[in-house]
Amino acid sequence: MTFEHCIRCTICVENCPVFRVQPEFPGPKQAGPDAQRFRIGREKSMDDWVLLCSQCKRCEMACPCGVEPAQIILRVQQRYGLEHPHTPAHLLFANNYYLSALGSMTAPLANQIAATKIGKKILGQMGIATYIPFPKFSFQTLSKEKKIRNRGNRKIAFFYGCFINFYRPDIGRKIMRMLQSFSIDVVLPPQWCCGLPALGNGNLTLARTFARKNVASLSNYIDAGYDIVYSCTSCGLCLLQDYQGILEIPEAKKIAENCYDLHEYLLKLIAEREIKPDFKAVNRTLAYHIPCHLRALRIGYPAADLMKSIPGLDCTILDDACCGLSGSYGFKKTNEAAALHLGERAVSLVRKTGATAIASDCGSCRMQMGGLSGMDAFDPAEILCESLGIRNTK
Amino acid sequence: MSVIEYDVIVIGAGAAGLTAAAWLAKQKLRVALVTAGEPTACLSTGCIDVCSRDDQPLAGIAGLPEPHPFHLVSTKTLRESLDDFRQTMAETDMPYKGTLEENRLVLSAIGTFKTTCLVPATMQASPQSVDEKIRLVTFAGLKDFYPGYILSRLPGASFSVYDAGVSTTMGIAANFEDRAFLETFLLWLERQNIRENKIAFPAVLGLESASFVLKQIEYRLERPVFEIPTLPPSMPGRRLFNAMKDHLRRQGGVIYWNWPVVGVEKSGRQIEAVTTGVQGRPNSLNARAFILATGSFVGGGLCAKRDRIVEKVFDLPVSAPENRDAWFDQDYFSLNHGIGQAGIAVDEAFCPQGSPWNNIFVCGSILAYTEALKNGCGHGFAIATGRAAAQSCLERLR
Repeated sequence: MTFEHCIRCTICVENCPVFRVQPEFPGPKQAGPDAQRFRIGREKSMDDWVLLCSQCKRCEMACPCGVEPAQIILRVQQRYGLEHPHTPAHLLFANNYYLSALGSMTAPLANQIAATKIGKKILGQMGIATYIPFPKFSFQTLSKEKKIRNRGNRKIAFFYGCFINFYRPDIGRKIMRMLQSFSIDVVLPPQWCCGLPALGNGNLTLARTFARKNVASLSNYIDAGYDIVYSCTSCGLCLLQDYQGILEIPEAKKIAENCYDLHEYLLKLIAEREIKPDFKAVNRTLAYHIPCHLRALRIGYPAADLMKSIPGLDCTILDDACCGLSGSYGFKKTNEAAALHLGERAVSLVRKTGATAIASDCGSCRMQMGGLSGMDAFDPAEILCESLGIRNTK
Repeated sequence: MSVIEYDVIVIGAGAAGLTAAAWLAKQKLRVALVTAGEPTACLSTGCIDVCSRDDQPLAGIAGLPEPHPFHLVSTKTLRESLDDFRQTMAETDMPYKGTLEENRLVLSAIGTFKTTCLVPATMQASPQSVDEKIRLVTFAGLKDFYPGYILSRLPGASFSVYDAGVSTTMGIAANFEDRAFLETFLLWLERQNIRENKIAFPAVLGLESASFVLKQIEYRLERPVFEIPTLPPSMPGRRLFNAMKDHLRRQGGVIYWNWPVVGVEKSGRQIEAVTTGVQGRPNSLNARAFILATGSFVGGGLCAKRDRIVEKVFDLPVSAPENRDAWFDQDYFSLNHGIGQAGIAVDEAFCPQGSPWNNIFVCGSILAYTEALKNGCGHGFAIATGRAAAQSCLERLR
């Protein structure tokens, strides 16, 4: 649908988290379909506020007319990126993959430097916010894991994503063990950053480079009979939506047709009676903070459906609030206040439920919610593993 | 490919769909609700109009013309559905008050009075006549609210303006969620030397804790306070939608956002599944029965083509004046446009008449002869028919 289908009902505005707390941002209706009328000519994109959109896609989920304000704004953000010099923060976060690879290689040292006052000052000078601690690099990245052969019927190529790989490989290992317990073959195909951070920082060329590499690699695995499974909902959204859409990658459709969210995949196997997980009681009271990009995948909330089967688990779904971090968005000084405001609101909703811990599929949501609340923030897969008695061996 | 088999899939997230889905989920059925986007209910005043054409809702319903679908709902079901609604809202920040015996008035943003049945806590003190003495408090730069309209119609009203630092409904509502902002605001308000009996605000007193904010102001200023519904974005509409949606989820219902139905799988006289086009592969949901609550033209359930009116999900037969010339009245503001009667005609079980499928139930404003505007049949009608269609659906499944 084009911007011309907008009937100006303002439902997108009601759903925009940034609009609530950032007066500089005119909201998805004005920044998207309204302003699009003036962008058809060749004049440059002068509106700095397009960068204030965090690409949470809530406007698109809410629009009753099928208009995609976030998509319109994303394209303007790329155009803005072409026409304006990039700030150090934008450059760094676009290249998050290389930055993280470097950080992991020098993990103990990099972590220490990032935690010091001088380190924080340098980050601040570069326009990077430090209101929540940076995630810790992990030296033993997941990519170093061996594949798991079970001679099972199902073969999975696991797209683990940068967050799990560089910061929380322990979660990745648990997921692999869980899949192993279901007699599923798991391989870790050669993979790069999905490209979303580059896209989010106005670097279309870099995003396309990552996407091409990933598609070439994953495509081989699909041909060999593997299903692609991702666990990071933002990576998943990029693979499914942006590769076919803004990045215009040939063969992207093939990836999308064979690509599943981890929990969606498990539910599918359960429905097809291929696996029968024996969930044991987990006595926790959780608030399940739904990542905006899980909503945007339009597959429902599969992890919530799985967690419903766990005895003893009290899990409240919260899907009205964006955590505000939105990948690298909240790490920029210009967005710090908005991100903090939204994060505190999301945390207050969690506290209202009486939960003692948070669950969320998205690493960046967990960083924000855990960091601001001081509560434990789990990947739903960790809860499933706890219920299935799967622990990390390392 | 379908992942989960549901008992019932409800299509549409307005007051009718949410009511039907929540009631069925409460009866321990596996229920999913799919919606193309958020409903027009979000843009509403948040008031529950049952039948506003008469001072008494029940008398109003009795006087509706014969084919009106309200006649298919028993008074018992109507009472139960609204009692349940009040009960649901009583558990949230925003309790509702009102009875089926008598309609009441709510002051509108243009200074007229709207007739409605149940009103949210923040509109409880809304005046019942133009003679009441009111101090209107509005906000600098707020472009969706013009106090002049009200001042011109209420001789006893005066106004003050507060600078909230932001000038949008959403922005001011977000500020009111902040206790420090509220305190600063209260201190300012106390200095305004208000002599009027009541204080009125555009509906911006917060999103999650509006009735708490209202009570704080009432406590400090020692007089009744009320909100006046604004142009969209409408906070009272969103509060209502959020509460009804959370209620559905607490009953165990599952919601699929941005899930426009683009295809239907059928076998014999049964609809088996509805599908949508998710990036990549088609996504379908199976169920034993389907409840259609997609609304009328504005809600997106109906679409007028050049020669006929189409129901967009199942292509059900639509009842409408046959001749296109009869669709519209000469007077633009007339309440008698023939097209207002368009919709799905149903039998007493809320099943569409003349449809080849026997597991579809229909409720809400998509029902033929509803004429929501003319008859003042709003959310109350949606809630009642949603409940009635759900009951009928449950009977069929058992």
